[in-house]
Amino acid sequence: MLPLARRLEALLFISPRPIATDRLAQACACPEDEAAAALDELRAEFVAGSHGIELREVAGGFTFAVADDCAEDVRRLTGAERPDELTPALLETLAVVAYLEPVTRAEIAEVRGVSSEWALGALEERGLVEQQGRADTPGAPILYGTGERFLKLFGLASREQLPPLEEFSLSAGEVDEIRSRLHANAERRGQ
Amino acid sequence: MRADAGAVAAPPVAVAAEGSLRSRARQAPSSFDLDLDVFDGPFDLLVTLILRDEIDIWEVRVSRIIAEYVLKLADSGEFDLDATSQFVVLVAALLEMKSRLLLEEDVDEDLEDLDPDEAALQLLERLVRYSQFRNAAGAFRVRWDEHAARLYRNAAVPPELLRRRAPDGALAAACLADALTPLLREPPVPDTSHLADLAVSLVKELRRLRLILDDTGEFTFAAVAPPDRLERAVTFFALLELHSSGEARLRQTRHFGDIVVSRIAVPLPVAG
Repeated sequence: MLPLARRLEALLFISPRPIATDRLAQACACPEDEAAAALDELRAEFVAGSHGIELREVAGGFTFAVADDCAEDVRRLTGAERPDELTPALLETLAVVAYLEPVTRAEIAEVRGVSSEWALGALEERGLVEQQGRADTPGAPILYGTGERFLKLFGLASREQLPPLEEFSLSAGEVDEIRSRLHANAERRGQ
Repeated sequence: MRADAGAVAAPPVAVAAEGSLRSRARQAPSSFDLDLDVFDGPFDLLVTLILRDEIDIWEVRVSRIIAEYVLKLADSGEFDLDATSQFVVLVAALLEMKSRLLLEEDVDEDLEDLDPDEAALQLLERLVRYSQFRNAAGAFRVRWDEHAARLYRNAAVPPELLRRRAPDGALAAACLADALTPLLREPPVPDTSHLADLAVSLVKELRRLRLILDDTGEFTFAAVAPPDRLERAVTFFALLELHSSGEARLRQTRHFGDIVVSRIAVPLPVAG
């Protein structure tokens, strides 16, 4: 193992939160590309299945995580609990926030067609959504967005890793089907 | 779908409530600052923005507004009956408008006015947009199942900050009583004996000096001043009050000398 990789391993071991490559390079007083190369080496060393821990890139940096097949033992030792399940309403509200952030409560309600006050409160309580200031519009409503906990729980290095929203669009066939159903309804109303 | 008062034309009954709100808002003399989820600013502005459809009344929790107003009242320590009455009327009008919209059966009246094809097109656009997020939520579910239970390196919470779980059924109800009783006990009354009680009020002192002035026509400060320094200060204030109201003339021939107070004859107002 290169000496730099060992030094990075020490930094990652002691840090309680993910650290970005530039901060690791700064701490080791080395160029960022050298730190990135050493991180690749560390990643190969801690590849899934070889150790009880893995090196993962999550929430804007690198951090160690317990290997998935060792997690239950750790839970028994530490008493750590799994996060509470998310209901479909919570996941839907979270998706709106994640794709449209920063977003107001009224904008979320407009997309979902129902008031999302309770869902937003529940997501805030779980640390998945946080307040990010106020909008520069009449009334200055609160803006909501996602934070580090969201990225960690969904295993994302950054929000850019979210698939483009267009990927979730209905297919042309599905749109046509809805359109014809709506037209049939409209005709019935028109008669 | 939700009846969106901000986006659609208000139904007739709501318009009536809006009219009364508009006229009452104009009369509202007082304003106070609100810090709500959807709005940050003075109450008057909130009402104006609701009337201009720039804020959806559905998004405004009237109970929060009332809570903030009660706080403001408690803070100021003053109770302005007129301003509070206006506030109650304004809030009642807001509630009336909101409840009428809730009960209104024909909130989709504007959709009735739309060409059925146009309405279908609008609905289709909303459904297509909504479906994107619903499908994204499905993808979120997959990621959640895969990643949410992962344990990352983190710093342990210091033991003194850990929320401890009570062992089920191991604690008797008496333990709860023991824990709560000290909270219910009245705290001891602090000793205030070192604080001097002000024995004389400005109003009483004014009354006393006026009586002396009526009886004697003239007196000196030293002759009437009480021995206590604080009470003496009140007597001095009363003298200044007599002077400013034009009832007495004050004379002091040398610095720090005694003050001579003499009555000024007040001319009676001429009748008619």
